[in-house]
Amino acid sequence: MHLFLLGVSHQTTPVELRERLDFATKGLDAALAALSERSSASEAVVLSTCNRSELYVACDEVSAARSDLLEFLAEYHGLEAAEVAPHLYERVDAAAAQHLFRVAGGLDSLVVGEPQILGQVKDAYAAAAGGRTVGPVLNKVFPWSFTVGKRVRTETALSEGAVSISFAATALAKKIFGDLKGRTVLVIGAGEMGKLTTQHLKAQGVERMLITSRTLAHATALAESIGGTPVPWQDLLATLGRADIIITATGSTLPILTRSQVESVMRGRRNRPLFFIDIALPRDIEPAVGDLGSVFLYNIDDLQAIVKENLTRRAAEVSRAEGIVADEVRKFEAWLSARGAIPTVVALRQRFETIRRHELDRLQPKLAGLPPEARTRVDEITRLLVEKLLITPTEQLKSIPDPERVRTYADALTRLFALDAEEPARGEPGRDSAARRADDAGTSRTP
Amino acid sequence: MNTIPLLLYLAAGVLYAAHFVTRNVTVGRSSTALLAIGALAHTFVIGMQTMAAGHVPIAGTTQAVSTFVWLLALAYLYMEMTTEERALGVFIVPLLVALQSLRALNPVVEKRVPILESPWFGVHVASLLFAYASFALACVIGITYVLLFKEIKAKHLGFFYKRLPSLDSLDLMNARTVTLGWVFLTIGVLVGTIWAAEAKGGPIFDPRVQAMSLADPKILGAVVCWAIYTFALYARRLGWGGQRAAYLSAIGFAIVLFNFVPIGYFLTRSHNFGG
Repeated sequence: MHLFLLGVSHQTTPVELRERLDFATKGLDAALAALSERSSASEAVVLSTCNRSELYVACDEVSAARSDLLEFLAEYHGLEAAEVAPHLYERVDAAAAQHLFRVAGGLDSLVVGEPQILGQVKDAYAAAAGGRTVGPVLNKVFPWSFTVGKRVRTETALSEGAVSISFAATALAKKIFGDLKGRTVLVIGAGEMGKLTTQHLKAQGVERMLITSRTLAHATALAESIGGTPVPWQDLLATLGRADIIITATGSTLPILTRSQVESVMRGRRNRPLFFIDIALPRDIEPAVGDLGSVFLYNIDDLQAIVKENLTRRAAEVSRAEGIVADEVRKFEAWLSARGAIPTVVALRQRFETIRRHELDRLQPKLAGLPPEARTRVDEITRLLVEKLLITPTEQLKSIPDPERVRTYADALTRLFALDAEEPARGEPGRDSAARRADDAGTSRTP
Repeated sequence: MNTIPLLLYLAAGVLYAAHFVTRNVTVGRSSTALLAIGALAHTFVIGMQTMAAGHVPIAGTTQAVSTFVWLLALAYLYMEMTTEERALGVFIVPLLVALQSLRALNPVVEKRVPILESPWFGVHVASLLFAYASFALACVIGITYVLLFKEIKAKHLGFFYKRLPSLDSLDLMNARTVTLGWVFLTIGVLVGTIWAAEAKGGPIFDPRVQAMSLADPKILGAVVCWAIYTFALYARRLGWGGQRAAYLSAIGFAIVLFNFVPIGYFLTRSHNFGG
């Protein structure tokens, strides 16, 4: 059984094609149903985010799975296979697991360390588990990837620190005000930049948004689009007293708020902190405002400096995160190759058991004269003998880390014990009685 | 016997420091566990001394300090559980270690003088110790508030920014602990006043009781503390939150500690009831 991955991501594919390969719009359930209908793979998970569309399957034949998945991908989205093929990447077994672990850990993301991806991987697995398209391999590797994601998040600083201006501003606001629910944000200037930051703050729970602009119509328009209240420009100073967070993003060439203006506002606020986020260029707020007690003033350069520092820190954590991934991939590889040995081990055990029963049946006439305890003992001894003979080879086989070598050994065993041959027919008739006797032995041992 | 909790507090303190620097979750949990075990061991020690002496060991300064340490450990653990915030442990636990070592170095067995055989005594000391524990927490919270405030203000987001809760929640925790401490300080001082007045006219003559007046440094210290914390609470309504409240609670606790230990050992003539 192989783990096989076929997909596209922001690393290999332009956004126009990624959009067309997106599974989220029609729903993962539909995609999973369509996929399991047409592919030869026994297990499947579809991972679809705005940056990637990936198919994870467990299959016996990689080449068959490859052509199945390519066909499915093209057909499902109404594209030509030749159009899609050059952008695809594929991974097999440990390499596929490594890819999934890196994705879950945020190492393959556009912004390294972004935390949403782990939730998306979990959702993809949950959809597949709900649609019953997962089995022993994917049931192992996906939950494993959650562990990797969690380890990366807790053991490294890969996801730490804001890496965009808006997130940096929001993180600061939370550090000052704690919970942002019940806080009031005042946006001065109705430009794009102010809108973005306001949306982030809103996502963090801010409920009251006041928007003001020299042109009231602009303020009204922005207020409508983000769900705030427009405030006339002449009420600006009066409104300052009610706000906790102030975002300024006007095109004004002169400062619109001076130190003395803010100072007069602060007196009425009884020193409650006021957080100014000045993302305008040139600046909207006189730098001296930042000298006032209980006032925090951050301009766009300050925020950019934070972002830059955080990006540097994340980059420094990448190698540690990769180390965690490599560590887990090694463990997964061992699991996978141990799994490769399972059919051989099972066949070997069956073969030994058949021989044992066959011999016991053959000797039955001679054993019949013995008392029942002695017969039980004979059964037990032979069983233990077989078990002891098998235990070392089984363990040895399972502990081989390299799947290729496992296959070589498994082939050798199959050959040496003729495991792929039919079982000897003459062993069959006595089988039932032997099994019954084995059961008796089992029960007689328990008092 | 008091060295067992001391050693556990010490080990917890080391782990809290390690947790503060590395922010490793396992180290954090272990530090909490160790502190809890220390507090439990301390409970046993105090319980056994109570059994041996027939009363809670709080008469002498040293014993009272140890009981204070125990209360502070419990109060801190409670705060940690309710706020899920263990960044302050690194500031609190060293205080536990320092004060508990006073007890460990001075293993006297308490004998209670007859004047203290009064139900007022337990209420008086217990309320004050609890008040002191609250003020200790308020002080530590205030210090961390100032540290974080300065980092954000100076735009050097670093060590404390990553490790401390928000300014708002620190301020809220400070307000709560000061209020709680103030309530118990008020109860403790009131009960002490009533009891002293009663004892002065009572059948037992004790020079220490006669010395109980505002002129005694220990009593004066307590009144000064009460005035500071009363002001701190009232001033919050006037906008003295945040940094100013933080500084006030640091000054207040400095006086509490000074009044508790050096004055308690060397200067008071009214409150020296044992080692």
